[in-house]
Formats: sequence, C-alpha cells, structure tokens
Amino acid sequence: MLIVREDLKRIGRLKTEDRFAEGPDMTDWIKSLIESGNYIGGEPLAIKGRYVTQNEVLSDGPFIEAKEGISGYDIILAENLEQATAIAQSCPMVMQGFAIREVRPMQPFIFKSPV
Amino acid sequence: MDKIQQETDQLYKQHFGKLVASLLYASHDIDPETAEDIVQDTFSAALIDWRLQGIPANSAGWLYKVCRNKALNKIKRDKRLQPLTEKQDQATIETRFSESAFDDQQLKLLFACAHPDLTPKTQVVITLKYVVNLRVESIAKNLGMSIDGVDKLLLRARQKIRDEKILLEEPHPNALKQRLSIVHKIIYLTFNEGYKSTAGKEILREDLCEEALLLNKALLESSMSNKETLALHALMLFNSARFKSRISDSGELLDLENQDRSIWNQDLIQLAHDFFTRSQCEVVSTYHLEAAIACLHCIAPSFEQTDWRTIVGLYARLLHIFPNPFVELNYAIAKYYAGEKRGAFEILNELQKNTFLNQYYILNMALGKFHLLEGDHKLARAYLLKAQQQTNLQKEKDFIERMLGKIKEP
Repeated sequence: MLIVREDLKRIGRLKTEDRFAEGPDMTDWIKSLIESGNYIGGEPLAIKGRYVTQNEVLSDGPFIEAKEGISGYDIILAENLEQATAIAQSCPMVMQGFAIREVRPMQPFIFKSPV
Repeated sequence: MDKIQQETDQLYKQHFGKLVASLLYASHDIDPETAEDIVQDTFSAALIDWRLQGIPANSAGWLYKVCRNKALNKIKRDKRLQPLTEKQDQATIETRFSESAFDDQQLKLLFACAHPDLTPKTQVVITLKYVVNLRVESIAKNLGMSIDGVDKLLLRARQKIRDEKILLEEPHPNALKQRLSIVHKIIYLTFNEGYKSTAGKEILREDLCEEALLLNKALLESSMSNKETLALHALMLFNSARFKSRISDSGELLDLENQDRSIWNQDLIQLAHDFFTRSQCEVVSTYHLEAAIACLHCIAPSFEQTDWRTIVGLYARLLHIFPNPFVELNYAIAKYYAGEKRGAFEILNELQKNTFLNQYYILNMALGKFHLLEGDHKLARAYLLKAQQQTNLQKEKDFIERMLGKIKEP
C-alpha cells in the first residue's frame, strides 16, 4: 500500500475542487501502472472524519491538524519492496514535492489455528 | 552538411548504443553516464581525425578501437591508486570488448534492464535508452512524457544502476530465466506505447512497434525464449497487420468497425497464425489470450460477423488471471456486441464508480456510443462531451466530434 501523506491543516482549508486542481495530473501515472499490471486501486481521503478510542466516543481526532497526515492511498502489486519504492518515487505528487508516500507491504493475516 | 559529417551521423545512429553497451560489459568500472561520455568523445575525435586523414576503410572498427582505448585510459587514470588490479582489468576488457559479440550483448543488456527492483516504466525507459538506443527527446516523445520527466527517471535509474551495478553484472542463468516474464512485459509495453501512443499528434508510432518486434525476434532466436515469447510475437504481428487501416486517407482515426478490412496485411496475419500455432501449450498466458482475441478480429469477414461470443469468453479468462480495469472495459464492450447488452451496461456503470476510470475517455466514449446505438441521444451526448474533454489527442477529439455529429440536436 502506498499511503499519501500531506499537510492536512493546509489542504483542510481548501475547497475540494481546489485541492485536486493544485496537484499534478495523476492520470498518466495510474494509467501506466494499470497497463503494466501493477495497479489494484486507490482513492483520496476526505480530511474530516471521526476518531474512535475506548473511552472517547467520537471526535475529529488529532489527524485533521497533522503536518504529514494520511490524505489518500493506492494499492499496488509489486515484485518486491524495492520495486514498490521505485513506483512510489515515480508518483508525480512525490516528484513535484506535493506529498510524501509511505510504502507499506500488506501483511497477510495469519489465524492462530484452534487447538 | 559535408560528406564526412553525414557518414559520421550515420555511424552514430547505428553504433552509439552498441558502443555504450559493449563498454558497459567490458568493464565493471564504467557506469552508463561515463560510457556515454566516452562514446560521445570518440565520435568528436572521429570527426576531427577523419576531416584531416579521410574516413578509414573500416570506420566502425576504428570507432570500436578508439572507444576501447579511451575506456582503458580512463580506467587507468581512475585506478592509479590500485596499480595491482590494472593488468587484470586490461585483460578482461580486451577479451570482452569485441564487436562480434554484440547481438548477444544486446539481449544480455535487455535482461539486465529487466531488473526486478525497477518500475516497469523505468525498465521500458532504460531499455529504449540503452538497448534500442533512442535519444532522450524521442523517448519522451514516444512515451508521452516530458523531457524533464525522462531525465529525472533516468537520473534515478542511473544512480541505482551505478550503486548496484545493475547493467554491469550478468545475473545467474537461473535468475535470467526468472526475468523472462519481465522481459516479455518490457517488449509488450514498448509495442503498446507505439500502438496507442498517449500524447502528441501521432497516434501510431510504428518505429516503436518495430523495435519491440525486433527485440522479441532476437529473444526467439536465443535459448532464453519459451512458448509465451511465441504468443507475444503472434499478438504483436496480428496487431501490426491492421496498422495501415487505422488511419483513413484523409488522416482520420478509424475504429475497428469502420476500418477497411481489405487492406489488412494478410501475409502478417498468416505469419502471426504460424507463431500462434507454435505457441500452443498447456499453460495459457495473458499473451496467449490476447493473441487469440486479436486473431479472431483479424479473421472476421466483417465487424458484425466477428465471433463476439468467443471473444467475451476469452476476456473473461483474461480477467481471471489479470484483473485490470482496462480488460474489464473491453470485456463489457465485447459483451455489448455479443448481444448481452444489459450485462455490458451493468459493468460499464460499475466501472464509472472507479475514481480513475471515470476520468478515462474510453469509458465515457463507450457509454456515449452505446447510448447512441440504443437511441438515448441525450445521455449519449453528455457522455461524448465528457469523453471529448478527457483526451488530449486532436485525432481522438475529432473522432468524437464525428460521433457527436450523428446526434440530432436537442
């Protein structure tokens, strides 16, 4: 998973159209990943959400002010972590300094077998 | 331009990449940037020398020799501090540096470009740069990237190539076998870039398609190829057979339905068929399925008489082993023509929910066209206008304009 991290405080102040208009065009990048069979899916995330913990019920959470908060994600298929990293590096948002990408392999869940 | 300049330019085109490739294999101490500098230097020297002395009989041989000496001098300079290894280097360089080994070297270099740590796009770019020998400007033009974008990508790749000696070290034979599928993908993507190029005025770049076919042919002639290589070759040939019919005499883009089938190249179709027959095996790859689909299009007497049912089935199998929104889109289109209209609209409507596909003009064009065929002119118009805004290619904009012309004014 390629997590997008951006200054949420700043983009939180923008109108939705402006938020997507200011960044680079991602179409070609995604298209080339689809063509090469590396792309699975992904979406931007809205800035406002809810934060749930054991005691506290709901709040906007600390993330809405975060300097490098999560603002979207893409799920890709890569040969290895190095290739995934190289793909993240080639993201136009990263190349033009709009965002940071966090590369996290998805870990298959392992059930503890019942005795 | 004088004769010497002309001849040198000619040699430059033919030998630049080969010289760089042979330098990279000649020594582990040369990185791609240095190799290019040395070759560039060799050509400048050639121009000066040949203006004075005239062009030697074996001009290519002259280039290889001068290039080799320049490389040796460079290594000697760099290695002053380690004089003990110098001798050994000289020996390796001389045995490895030979003009005749080139064909093999091109293939070796191709496999080196298929390094699993590089992104597919980077693999294609460095293949075009170091194996096919294109200049940065033409790579940018061919792949619809900016020159700056290609430079940045190459810069990153060069760092990695240098740090990990990617182009310089030949992988173990077992590792080479594993890379075959990446090599296939590089060739396939190169062909596709030529076939449906994404930017600029040109919609078809036959050069790139030809390069892909040549690379694959070299692969077929080596011991590295397998049945998938044959299927890939068949696929590319089937598509090449339709090259000429995709653009009308007046330069308009034509879709499959309106292409003049009589100018499809029957020799190429036959040749593709031979490769396709030879590719049959138990394991069916995406190339096999795509070749089968291309084959059914090529042998259909008309658009209406195409075996759409079988094509739908093939797309379904393709989706199973290669889930991908583009394939799904084609699956829906085939379903529509096979008469399964409801199923087709269901998939297309579902695809609209995909953030990316919704921005993709082909999806909206297909929806526009099908609504037009179903008689819903209002919806058709809305989709076509949306599609028209989403493509940057003038020929495609014109194509949609002609479809809009068929709609009655509201």
